[in-house]
Amino acid sequence: MTAWLSLVVWAPFAAALVLLLLPARASNAVRLVAVTGAGTSLAGAIAVALSYDRALGGVQFREYQPLVPSLGIAYDLGVDGWGVCLILLTGLIIFAGTWATWTLKERPKEYYILLLALVTGVFGVFSSLDLFLFFLFYELAVLPMYLLIGIWGSSKAIPEQGPFAFAYRSLHVGRKEYAAMKLTLMLLLGSALILAGILTLYWAGDGRSFSMEDLAKASISTSTQRWLFPALWLGFGTLAGVFPFHTWSPDGHASAPTATSMLHAGVLMKLGAYGVIRVGMVLLPEGAQAWAWVVGVVAVINVVYGALSAMRQTDLKYIVAYSSVSHMGVVMLGAATLTVDGWNGAVFQMFAHGIMTGLLFALVGLVYEKAHDREIFRMGGFGKVMPGIAVAFTLAALSSLGMPGSSGFVAEFLVFLGAFRSHPWWAVAGILGAWITAVYVLRAVRAIFWGPGPDVDRFPGLSDARGPEWVALYLLGLCIALFGLWPGLILDAIDSTTLVHLGRIVGPIVAGGTP
Amino acid sequence: MIPLALFVVLGPVAGFLLLAGLPVLRRSGLAAGVVSSAVALATLVAAIVLLVGVEPGAAPVIAQIDWLPHQGEAFARLGVRVDGTSAVMGAVVALIASAVQVYSLGYMASEGRPSIGRYFAWQSLFLFSMQTLVFAPDLLQAFLGWELVGLCSYLLIGFYYQKPSAAKAAVKAFWVTKFADMGLLTGLVLMRWQVGSFAWEAVQPGWTATAIALLVFLGAMGKSAQFPLHVWLPDAMEGPTPVSALLHAATMVAAGVYLVVRTWPLFEASGVALHVVAWVGAITVVVAGLTAMVQDDIKKVLAYSTCSQLGYMVAALGAGSPVAGLFHLTNHAFFKALLFLAAGAAIHAVHSNSIWEMGGLWRSLKGASLLFLVGAAALIGLPGFSGFFSKDFALEALAESHLWGPFALALGGVALTGFYVGRVVVVAFFRRPAKERGRLHTPLVMTVPMTVLAVLAVVGGLLGGPIAGWLGGAYHFHVTPEGLTATVLALGGLGLATWIYGYEGGRRLVVLAAPAGAFIRSGLLDRFYETAWRQGLLVVAHAAGWFDRYVVDGVMNLVAWSVLEGSERTRRIQTGRIPDYVLAVVVAFVVLAAWGAVSGMSGCGSTP
Repeated sequence: MTAWLSLVVWAPFAAALVLLLLPARASNAVRLVAVTGAGTSLAGAIAVALSYDRALGGVQFREYQPLVPSLGIAYDLGVDGWGVCLILLTGLIIFAGTWATWTLKERPKEYYILLLALVTGVFGVFSSLDLFLFFLFYELAVLPMYLLIGIWGSSKAIPEQGPFAFAYRSLHVGRKEYAAMKLTLMLLLGSALILAGILTLYWAGDGRSFSMEDLAKASISTSTQRWLFPALWLGFGTLAGVFPFHTWSPDGHASAPTATSMLHAGVLMKLGAYGVIRVGMVLLPEGAQAWAWVVGVVAVINVVYGALSAMRQTDLKYIVAYSSVSHMGVVMLGAATLTVDGWNGAVFQMFAHGIMTGLLFALVGLVYEKAHDREIFRMGGFGKVMPGIAVAFTLAALSSLGMPGSSGFVAEFLVFLGAFRSHPWWAVAGILGAWITAVYVLRAVRAIFWGPGPDVDRFPGLSDARGPEWVALYLLGLCIALFGLWPGLILDAIDSTTLVHLGRIVGPIVAGGTP
Repeated sequence: MIPLALFVVLGPVAGFLLLAGLPVLRRSGLAAGVVSSAVALATLVAAIVLLVGVEPGAAPVIAQIDWLPHQGEAFARLGVRVDGTSAVMGAVVALIASAVQVYSLGYMASEGRPSIGRYFAWQSLFLFSMQTLVFAPDLLQAFLGWELVGLCSYLLIGFYYQKPSAAKAAVKAFWVTKFADMGLLTGLVLMRWQVGSFAWEAVQPGWTATAIALLVFLGAMGKSAQFPLHVWLPDAMEGPTPVSALLHAATMVAAGVYLVVRTWPLFEASGVALHVVAWVGAITVVVAGLTAMVQDDIKKVLAYSTCSQLGYMVAALGAGSPVAGLFHLTNHAFFKALLFLAAGAAIHAVHSNSIWEMGGLWRSLKGASLLFLVGAAALIGLPGFSGFFSKDFALEALAESHLWGPFALALGGVALTGFYVGRVVVVAFFRRPAKERGRLHTPLVMTVPMTVLAVLAVVGGLLGGPIAGWLGGAYHFHVTPEGLTATVLALGGLGLATWIYGYEGGRRLVVLAAPAGAFIRSGLLDRFYETAWRQGLLVVAHAAGWFDRYVVDGVMNLVAWSVLEGSERTRRIQTGRIPDYVLAVVVAFVVLAAWGAVSGMSGCGSTP
């Protein structure tokens, strides 16, 4: 038995440990170690994705080692089709992220240590089959953000307005410390709900195992399911940016440094959505059915309201951050449909959005680094001096608005198919959201890259991407096209897993049956 | 047959990948153009061979691969479908694309080298996308191609991306067509839900057919620039002129008509949908025709003319005649591409788009002028030219189906066409020029493609029979009262324009019509959309963004502030001074003692 998953999970952690021993001055060695750690995980993830037996389906690459047998806690790793897809995404984003921040000057050693520790947690969540382990990894993934934003982040002046203006002054809204604190507190509140939920699940089962497989078999009473599901939905949902608990996301992502935003918007928000579906819905089928309509309605709000809010922004990072709120709504919308297409679309959207928003945040970082400005309406004509960045940005924008040929289309299309089947107006609202997305992303592209200019007096240091930065742009850009043109690469694995999990909620699904 | 079709579709994508993937080639300027044009010409040969090989009335040949899985089986496939309809359209597209690409070798030669490479890369991508749409075996693949041609349109309109007006026009075109595409996408999703298939033939009679047909038609209205969604097309003229000829006159904008032809079973099943189609087409004919009459920019005249002519095709479809629609589409592709290319030659020579700054081109630019006149004759529908046959066929179809309202509008449109074409021809080509210029020159590489199109614009009428055969319909030319009326009206419009713009006596009429002209020029519809954007969507977005920042997040901040403030207050208790603590201890002791005493006393009574 080869421990592929352990390799994927612990390689970044090992790299972080090596980094601890390195002197901070050896910045090239630091980067090399970080890239090696991330690259090992990516290679492992690709190997897992390629050798996952699609015909067999189910959980594969199982590693089982009891940790606390008396409580039923085990080091239990394994991935199904969803896990394959999500660890591949995580590998891609962390690998691209280490390249995209190659030129980071401030404390690169500490930065990479935290980043790699964080990503260990992410890999761990996506491959844990034991809820205790799951929660440990989950916390490992959430906490380093506080330092990453607080130390390496950037601030922005937010005018004090509105009915609660007095609160804004004393909280220093807009500062990076504020953003870091808000993100951490809100996510920890979510974690508290999750922990309570997991413990309730544990006792509602037979109280002897944290294994998700055992808990899936346990008979949990309908009333417990009904009140437990919303707790897990809100707990995980906070990380998935579910309205109205999404407000940590724009500030957090806008303040965070490049690779952190890439990882956080690209992957961490998926932890939340994955948790809602994999733990909340699959383990609480009756709860899921009772609450699906609420989840769906809130998701529709996320999609449309998030897109409208994104349209109001003029700060590039905020535009991309709000677009994540909107696109995570698409994931939750797919989940709420409780249909095969909807779930396939939800998981595919996690992947597609991860790649796309990872690329967008990488590009935003590059533009900001060169222009030292994030206000899009002060820019203009950048396409002339940074054609590569312009092309990559346009590609990501197209994926964002659901252009066929990009992975974003496949995801949104599947979600809309599912949504139409459950509540037609959800699909119509989702499609409207996609149009609003087209409006605000192309407006941003036009404002930044098109038009006369650039104004060399205002922006003296403009240039195209350089050396290592291209790695991130090419890798993620090609993935958008590859998985958009050939979604079957991962979609068949997703599909087979969806059948198993969804079958628990809506009853057995016949393979190849009529829709 | 399938390998040929695959080559027609995938050949251009190879060209695109070569140009996109090899920076050396892309930055080499004309070499990139030659590669792209060679690929286009090769696909043209293949498309013609393919067309000739298709037997009229033969069953479609389909080859597909699985694309999207669902419950272990593929529910969406990609591939090619070869039948009469796709072969005809594929050949037309390949022909116009080849002509335009070769022409561009001359027209774009003065651009910077990387720009030329970029231009031809998008051209190749467009050809691939369009053929993906044309040879699509089902509505889903057609939608993929449909969106991709929209993307190419956006990129090519914005070719001069540094020019603010071009940047604005590109985005506007994308937004408007994408808005209409939401209808198409909804139709697609509805089709999968209700019918369970994306196949062209899949129909479920009743409300579903009507709903899907109308949603598909909404998409077609956007792409084919039908009233009231036509506002993007005139602005799209910001793109290079060959782009206008290919995308925004001959092929891409005709995709809507093609889509309706493909989904014909749906429309046939719904009388309501057909009526809507006929009326929308006929209204577009007149509205766009009227607007074309007052434009000063030669490309805008042609753009509105394109809307108007697309209206004829759409109206013919509404009248239940896909053959007439596709016949006029083919002829229109020839003569309108020709008109744009010839206008491009004129613009290239004069360095202005305004017809008032042209003048006298007939003398200084003989070749291109002659070609333009041929195209103009076909557009007006002078007897013998291609437009004459197909336009009459469309009118005949409207009369036969007793759609008298749309018929009257379409007939009136013929007079408008005669007028606006006459106006351009007289003002730009025959009027005395503002300043004398010597003989102007058009390169051979531009003249040859135009000549090919001119020949087709003349003899296109002969294609009616074969096209009808490939579509499984029938076409025989015969003289009809509608045809005669139309010819008289066209000549009338032409004559009026000649009199007004060519002779002193007629000029007074312009003054009389000035208020009407000013009204049309004011662009009521454009202003409506502008208002809807500024005072509708933007305001809503601002409200949403503000609400999120200051109310939703405000409540979060209020909670945080309350905690901070609360702790600030309670913190004061911990003063750090010993006397305070001693006082607290004493007070607590007294209170506890008192409480103990009281509860002790009351407890006595109840203790058993």
